[in-house]
Amino acid sequence: MYEAVYAHPDGESTASRVAIAAERYGYDGVVVRGMDARPDFDRLRDELDVDLVDAVEIDAPDPEHASGSVGNYRPQRELLILRGGTNALNRFAVEQPRVDVLARPMAGNGNFNHVLAKAARDNGVRVEFDLSPVLRTEGGSRVQALSNLRKLRELVEYYDVPYVVSGGPRSHLELRAPRELAALGDVVGFDREQILDGLREWDRLTERNRGRTSESFIAPGVKRGRYEEDD
Amino acid sequence: MKHLPKHLRPRWRYLAVELETWPDATIRRGSFQRELWYAAQNLYGDAGSADADLTVLGFDFEDSVAETIVRARRGSVEEARAALACIDTVGDHPVGVRVRGVSGTVRACSERYLHRRAGISEERDVVFETESRTAVVRNSLLDVSGPDGFTGATQLDFE
Repeated sequence: MYEAVYAHPDGESTASRVAIAAERYGYDGVVVRGMDARPDFDRLRDELDVDLVDAVEIDAPDPEHASGSVGNYRPQRELLILRGGTNALNRFAVEQPRVDVLARPMAGNGNFNHVLAKAARDNGVRVEFDLSPVLRTEGGSRVQALSNLRKLRELVEYYDVPYVVSGGPRSHLELRAPRELAALGDVVGFDREQILDGLREWDRLTERNRGRTSESFIAPGVKRGRYEEDD
Repeated sequence: MKHLPKHLRPRWRYLAVELETWPDATIRRGSFQRELWYAAQNLYGDAGSADADLTVLGFDFEDSVAETIVRARRGSVEEARAALACIDTVGDHPVGVRVRGVSGTVRACSERYLHRRAGISEERDVVFETESRTAVVRNSLLDVSGPDGFTGATQLDFE
């Protein structure tokens, strides 16, 4: 299970600190949602027992800017996350097979509907369930976030949209263990297994993308190398 | 009042909980208990909160890490976990919360999961982002103080 975190300078703790904390919390690795953060991944992977994923989180004001960034970052990074939050950006993200994850689609003025859900499923864009407002706000804004999560969940379940789950921690202190997130998910209407599966989806995505960027990859289902053994 | 016969007494589970915070903060039992009640009440209301009956028993704070035992009714352990996950600050200090384990007795809980102190902390001057800063060092973990609060780092960031 992986958690997607913000590291210094986007967050308050450096990537290595969050990674060490994540290991204690029972994660196998962390996805560093880099906006400005770009630690030395090779060295950290060597030194630490947890995996670190070199991801970029694109925070663009509109689809035109986002499109440029997607083209730029796609070949450089292992994982491409696009931050939604407006209808135009959400629409753009789900129609781009080059985008791996649409982050927090319901934040701000963003909304989600059946058209976007179908597009996300067809293009294999993972929709993020962002638990951070449930974990770290209270009162009206939390109620709002919960009802948004519910709407998103119903659409995701109905159209079988791929999804990821994250608590969006900005420091090692905001990290929460998978079991705690699952217990919280259970209270707010998710299935325990649904939450854990959303955390595992980060590993699956990473593994897929690493396979695709490796030298032996030619096209989906086609790779260079020895014949596969028949059992 | 005379205590209840054994079969009528409530059954409890004890959660060993670890809290972590920045070096300038002090956390007390009372304020953690208050946050826990608020978290439970905000999450599942008065009725659910009363059902879970979350109580902080032991509390031991030293060197920005607190070890504590939280009592919950048997059958409400997952609700207790959810409420604990929602605690992000204790009296304005941001905290990290981790459940180390769950036991059926206080004694088993503390023997199994508590008293695992991370080494002693000390202050040191470091160069972080080309500036000289003070840092509190615990094992290989550093909390670097800056103009707007602390930054969590490790020894790996200074090599």
